[in-house]
Amino acid sequence: MGDPVIQFRGVTKSYRKGGQELVVLDHLDMDIEAGEFLALMGPSGSGKSTILNLVGGLDLPDAGDVIVGGVSVPALGGDELSTWRARHIGYVFQAFNLLPVLTALENVELPLLLTPLKKAARREQARYALEIVGLADRLDHRPKQLSGGQEQRVAIARAIAMDPTILLCDEPTGDLDRDSADQVLDLLGRLSAEYGKTVVMVTHDQKAGEDARRVIHLDKGVIAPVDA
Amino acid sequence: MNLERLVRRQALSHPVRALLTVGAVAVAMFLLCFLRSIVTSLDAAVKESSGRRIITASAVSLFQALPASYSAAIAEVDGVATVSRFTWFGGVYKDPENFFAQFGTDPQLLLDQYPEIELPAEHKQAWFDDKRGAIVGIGIAEKYGWSVGDTVPLLGTIFPRAGGEPWEFTVRGVYRSTRANVDEMTMYFHWTLLDEALESGESMGPRGTSVYLIRLDDGWEGEEVAQAIDDYYAGGPQRTRTQPEAAFQADFVNMMGNLPTFLGMIGAAVLVAILFGVVNTMTIAARERLRSMGILKAMGFSDRVPIRLYLMESTMLVLIGGGLGIGLAWLTQPGLRAMFGTFIPVYQVAGETYLAATVACVGIGLLAGLIPALRAARLRPVEALRRGA
Repeated sequence: MGDPVIQFRGVTKSYRKGGQELVVLDHLDMDIEAGEFLALMGPSGSGKSTILNLVGGLDLPDAGDVIVGGVSVPALGGDELSTWRARHIGYVFQAFNLLPVLTALENVELPLLLTPLKKAARREQARYALEIVGLADRLDHRPKQLSGGQEQRVAIARAIAMDPTILLCDEPTGDLDRDSADQVLDLLGRLSAEYGKTVVMVTHDQKAGEDARRVIHLDKGVIAPVDA
Repeated sequence: MNLERLVRRQALSHPVRALLTVGAVAVAMFLLCFLRSIVTSLDAAVKESSGRRIITASAVSLFQALPASYSAAIAEVDGVATVSRFTWFGGVYKDPENFFAQFGTDPQLLLDQYPEIELPAEHKQAWFDDKRGAIVGIGIAEKYGWSVGDTVPLLGTIFPRAGGEPWEFTVRGVYRSTRANVDEMTMYFHWTLLDEALESGESMGPRGTSVYLIRLDDGWEGEEVAQAIDDYYAGGPQRTRTQPEAAFQADFVNMMGNLPTFLGMIGAAVLVAILFGVVNTMTIAARERLRSMGILKAMGFSDRVPIRLYLMESTMLVLIGGGLGIGLAWLTQPGLRAMFGTFIPVYQVAGETYLAATVACVGIGLLAGLIPALRAARLRPVEALRRGA
């Protein structure tokens, strides 16, 4: 076992819905190693996406601690959290979430505005990220001019543009056909294996689960035992 | 790629909405400049008035002529440098619609008392030498196509000529004005021509003069000289009311009632209405971009970025619209001046109006963007992503 880059320690998270309290994570303890390609699977409402939100500091736990790279994420706040997130976390969403008014290159360049890089260097880095995902020939295309698979690959390029250590992917193949989904999974696998990224992927896709190096099944906010 | 480009692209992502917003702001800013310019143009004559001139009129009414004999007596009052006579003529040029002011006056004294009237030297002398001569402002000269040497027939209404014949004046000069207190829509002719016609019975009408215009000696204050004149005539034969030129001009503005306040209220209402309009546009835009803001935050952009983006966008839209409106106000000055004619002969958009409109644009832009900006900034990324889905 390597060193855990992500640690959940007694994490509890609940939401209020229709006047009722729904516990989505219940005293969860979990370790994720650096460079792992991990799939989080389980039924809807089992807390998979909440885990991603807590790792990235998009949401706060009710109790417990989320430690990423030795840093307690809930303890960070304001600009400190934003800066930390920009440096360490890359997000990939199910709905791609590209900005429709920007080209592929501009979408990928967007997070690089947070760096002190000059325009030319930013463009170069964005172009390189798009090359990695195999879209060097689609730089000036707007999202609506791309297929779903291409859009998701642009989103992955955007997520890796800042060279983060962790990629958080929320149903990255959810809106894709099989071929496109396989391409995206292959890409995520390569980013983990060749570039050492820690990929944490929430998925309902069995094939995605098979491609990941480890699968954690969640049920009602706790890790479910896996049948042999 | 930079945030400014993102703002531009997002603002133009709904071209019709952007166009309508910009158009509404343009119309509002034009209206604001226009309404404010009416007030400032009316006020300009008051502000630009000289503190070295006072005006004596009848204490009863401005329409009551003062005796001609007052001229010599007023000239003897301490502090009076020169006295000129001004008689409102009220003639009609071809049609009563063609209204412009005409005054019988003392030519040399007029030009001495009003250095802001610019007249070429040869025109001056030609006017002085011709008792039937008149000078006209460039405004009416252009409006009616008059040039030096032309004859202008005026039908007397207050001073009708025997037999109903029109008075005939020869244009001896065309003047320009260097200050707003003197308009370029007036005709001046020899007061003595009128007086002699009344004396000889060639014309009928009230004898005397409408007002006396007095230039003060150096070192004298208008109030004490005015008081001395009014005290002198306190026992009659006709009491006088002497006041600084600015106060006299202000009386004319006040004749229109509370017009400045009324126009000011309309202007304020226009501003508030356009603020609501832009707030509405920005609120709709912000709701549509909730997810985009969540994405930016998920990337690591701080809470200040949404504030910056929304403020930039609303300010940009308002400044473009405002710029168009202000530009339109600038462009339409000659047309509006012609339209207002003698009602507001010095209509112009003042520098301070351009500045006020620009400040209003920036203010509206910032205010309109602030509400959605603060809301977006306060929203946690996970909420923005969820609610924008």
